[in-house]
Amino acid sequence: MKLAVFWGCRILTSQYAYEMSVREVLPRLNMELVDLQENPCCGDPVKSVNDFAANYLAARILALASSTGLKNLLVPCNRCHFVISEAKRLIDNDEAVRSKVEVLLREEGLRYDPTVRMWHVIDLLHDHVGLDIIRKAIVKPLKGLRLASHVGCQIVRYTDLGRVDDAENPKKLDELINVVGAETVDYPEKLDCCGAALIYSHLDSALSLSASKLKAVQSLGVDGLVVSCPDCGMMFDSKQTEAVTTAGAKISLPVVYYTQLLGLALDIEQNRLGLQLNQSPVDTLLAKIPV
Amino acid sequence: MSLTDLMSRAKPNPVSQKNMLARLRGRGLLNCFLCIKCTSGCTALKLLELKPHEIEKLVNFGFVDELASSDIIWTCATCLKCIQRCPQKASPYHVIIALRNLAVEKEVRVPEPYMKAVSLILESGLAEPIQKVTSKKMEVCDRESLGLRKTNPPKESFQAAFMKALEEKQP
Repeated sequence: MKLAVFWGCRILTSQYAYEMSVREVLPRLNMELVDLQENPCCGDPVKSVNDFAANYLAARILALASSTGLKNLLVPCNRCHFVISEAKRLIDNDEAVRSKVEVLLREEGLRYDPTVRMWHVIDLLHDHVGLDIIRKAIVKPLKGLRLASHVGCQIVRYTDLGRVDDAENPKKLDELINVVGAETVDYPEKLDCCGAALIYSHLDSALSLSASKLKAVQSLGVDGLVVSCPDCGMMFDSKQTEAVTTAGAKISLPVVYYTQLLGLALDIEQNRLGLQLNQSPVDTLLAKIPV
Repeated sequence: MSLTDLMSRAKPNPVSQKNMLARLRGRGLLNCFLCIKCTSGCTALKLLELKPHEIEKLVNFGFVDELASSDIIWTCATCLKCIQRCPQKASPYHVIIALRNLAVEKEVRVPEPYMKAVSLILESGLAEPIQKVTSKKMEVCDRESLGLRKTNPPKESFQAAFMKALEEKQP
């Protein structure tokens, strides 16, 4: 399948490892990615300032996706996926909002398209590509690894909106990890939030939330934590040292993006998956991968 | 300001309560029967003392302006557990977002990074500045050195349209 891809700010401005690994992995599973002609914000931080303006920004993404001529759009960020889903539902159901948004889009020669279908990495790989195809593509099974998954909040909640997995017992990311040969563990803190949304107003609390989840995962004795959202990646990987300092905890936990893990199983070179950019101690995880 | 300080001499205001309900577009705020499922699962309860059920009830009682002026509405981690678990579709998350929008309209002090994000979007289309990152070998990397394509800013016509969208007042 050929899909348009909207990355969102966090990936494009700092979480390069996620972008690199998605760009490497998906084409090997016959998913061709087409970048949008512009890279604007989805509207997430604007939601707290002016809900209408946020919905306009989200509708603009769907309009830009539609102008590529493609009907499928990959949004690898949980937060962007949520903001665009909510805006889409409102615009499709509220005539007044829709006409106001359409007027603004028309000024730029853009057209809102309600038929664009959105995908996240999780449902694209699990539901569209399918576990069997992935299993067949694996050249280097990651046998012997024990991993914990963190699916994130906004990609599974809230159910009424239509999300990619069950809100209280998400399993797809675990199944995707199992398919590359690694074992997964269930744990009570699985649904706990990474705290990323609080970095704007309460940085210390955000870091404490992230540290308490890292601590819980570390106590499971797993080889690493797998994430699939750039905000969660930022909190658990890029800011792990900061979180440890803030919470005064002793944590040293490898954190990788699912697409990095899949890339390893597809035998893609580590530097092409951005593994040199992870700030958490991923070397201990990489050392356990069978050669 | 803290909610306790703001509430000490507050009087309910039915007009702002009515406006708030219009803003929420029919979400079941009035149906809240204080089961407290929202607060018992709230990510921000332990560290920041956010109690979504309290916010629901205060809006129902007409203390909307006090809430919009308080710091408490900026403690939500937007984890969406409250809206997921609410049996009455009262959706505390949406109430909090609507209160934040009202705070901006009333020009109450809003955490600066939110306004900064808006001005960054106006300038570059993105809500964050593009950063350089350091690899494990202490090499400083940017998009170009990592082989990632350049990001394209929006067309010039975007700025004017986004400004218009920001001027839009909610019902």
